[in-house]
Amino acid sequence: MGMYTKEELFQAIATVVDPEVGFNLVEMGLIYDASSDDEGNVKVTMTLSTKACPLHQMILQWVKEAVEKLPNVKDVAIELVWEPEWNITMADEHVKKALGGK
Amino acid sequence: MNSISQDFAPPFKLIAPFFIIGGFFYIAATLAVFLFSAQDLTYMSSTVMSFTHLFLLGFVMMTIFGAMAQLVPVVLEVGHFGVELFYAIWPLLLIGTLLMVVGFLYSPAMLPYGGTVVLISMMIFVGEIFLTIKKVQKLNFVMSSVVIANTFLFFGIIFGLLMALAYAGTISIDISQMLRAHVYCVVGGYIGITIMGLSIVLVPMFTLSHSFSLIPLRVAITLLSLGVTSVIFSTLLDMEVLEYVGYFSSFLALPFYFYIIYIIYKTRPRKENDIYAISMMFAYLAMVVALCLAIVYFLFHKEEVLLASAWVLFFGFFGFMITGHIYKIIPFLVWFERFSPLVGKQKVPMLADMVPRRSSQAQVVFSGIGVVLVAFAIVLKSDALLHGGASFLFFGGVAFVRSMLYMINFK
Repeated sequence: MGMYTKEELFQAIATVVDPEVGFNLVEMGLIYDASSDDEGNVKVTMTLSTKACPLHQMILQWVKEAVEKLPNVKDVAIELVWEPEWNITMADEHVKKALGGK
Repeated sequence: MNSISQDFAPPFKLIAPFFIIGGFFYIAATLAVFLFSAQDLTYMSSTVMSFTHLFLLGFVMMTIFGAMAQLVPVVLEVGHFGVELFYAIWPLLLIGTLLMVVGFLYSPAMLPYGGTVVLISMMIFVGEIFLTIKKVQKLNFVMSSVVIANTFLFFGIIFGLLMALAYAGTISIDISQMLRAHVYCVVGGYIGITIMGLSIVLVPMFTLSHSFSLIPLRVAITLLSLGVTSVIFSTLLDMEVLEYVGYFSSFLALPFYFYIIYIIYKTRPRKENDIYAISMMFAYLAMVVALCLAIVYFLFHKEEVLLASAWVLFFGFFGFMITGHIYKIIPFLVWFERFSPLVGKQKVPMLADMVPRRSSQAQVVFSGIGVVLVAFAIVLKSDALLHGGASFLFFGGVAFVRSMLYMINFK
């Protein structure tokens, strides 16, 4: 059992909003996993909606900063993956509905 | 981490002049339509030549160059070779375009000077892009399309300069034959392939589309490249058969391109019809209309139909394709520079909040009506319709620049 649960980490990351679509990264389904150890080292596995995203570096930085706001977090490692490739089915129902994807 | 660093964004002050000048040239091009005489419009007339360069160099190329300053690092995944060179590109393109526009209207002797200044500007652009591409280790298909497009631009400029020298009487060549190679290199080879290549990056990005095959795009760009090459050789070797092979190959490319765009739109999760989506729909519809008019021209050889086809292609397809993307690119650039440092510290606007609703809608409506009216005016040879259409276009242009300035100054 680590310092924070996956849900707690997701809650922290949910403060990061994609300015293009107006939804946060968690409800977009872009955060695949998050875990922490007892020392406060956090690992986030995530993707982006497109490889060509010009905000690429910035979004990763925002995720890092959002997690670092949690007390006692020592280090945040972000693994950016492209498999599985993100698609709209990974987003929350209200996001799909708002975008017209249903 | 599988990193594809995009942290190469040039400063907005470097890109802004391209868009602002491009916008004012867009308005100027709408005013230039008033100079047309619908009764005796020909593609070699000085007013048409002047308008074409005003629109294509002043608006289309100026805006594309600015957009490329931002998009090339995104597409190529490397930083610019020398992004400062863009500070020299826009003033030269501005001066060269003005000299050429005035030269066509009043003084052909100015054309070689204008052509040379444009040539220098474009050579700097092409050189910078090629040196940036050199930094890429492995080219993907979209990157290759940038290489192909810029190669055609290079040759298009050379043909253009030769024509300018001939127009001014400095050298003696067949201008009408060289015109074909020049137009095909620049319009088909550069603008066409650039739009095809970049739209496959941008359209899915804004519509959140995924998992579509790129094969139709590969076929489209290959066919268009072969078509342009064939037309160039038809000019150089004076072989008519190559000219028609080139036309056929280019026409054949378009259904493949439309097919992939159709698939992207059909499978797009993001279905909201914002100003970008509406502009894209109008642009693609205009492209289909331009294609149909071109086919009618080849069947009946009526020059007014060819001019109407070119008009719909220029102001309908290129125009709306570019203005539509401006509503996405400028808010992003301004947001990136002004608001991204404030993320997490205070409430920041979403990109959509930065687009002025009324003036952007007014632009689409007025410009759309204007494009249709002028197309009819050209086919029907009606000056009244032409002036009516130009008036709509003018107000559309003003609304466009107003929208652009609103986005740039958004605080």
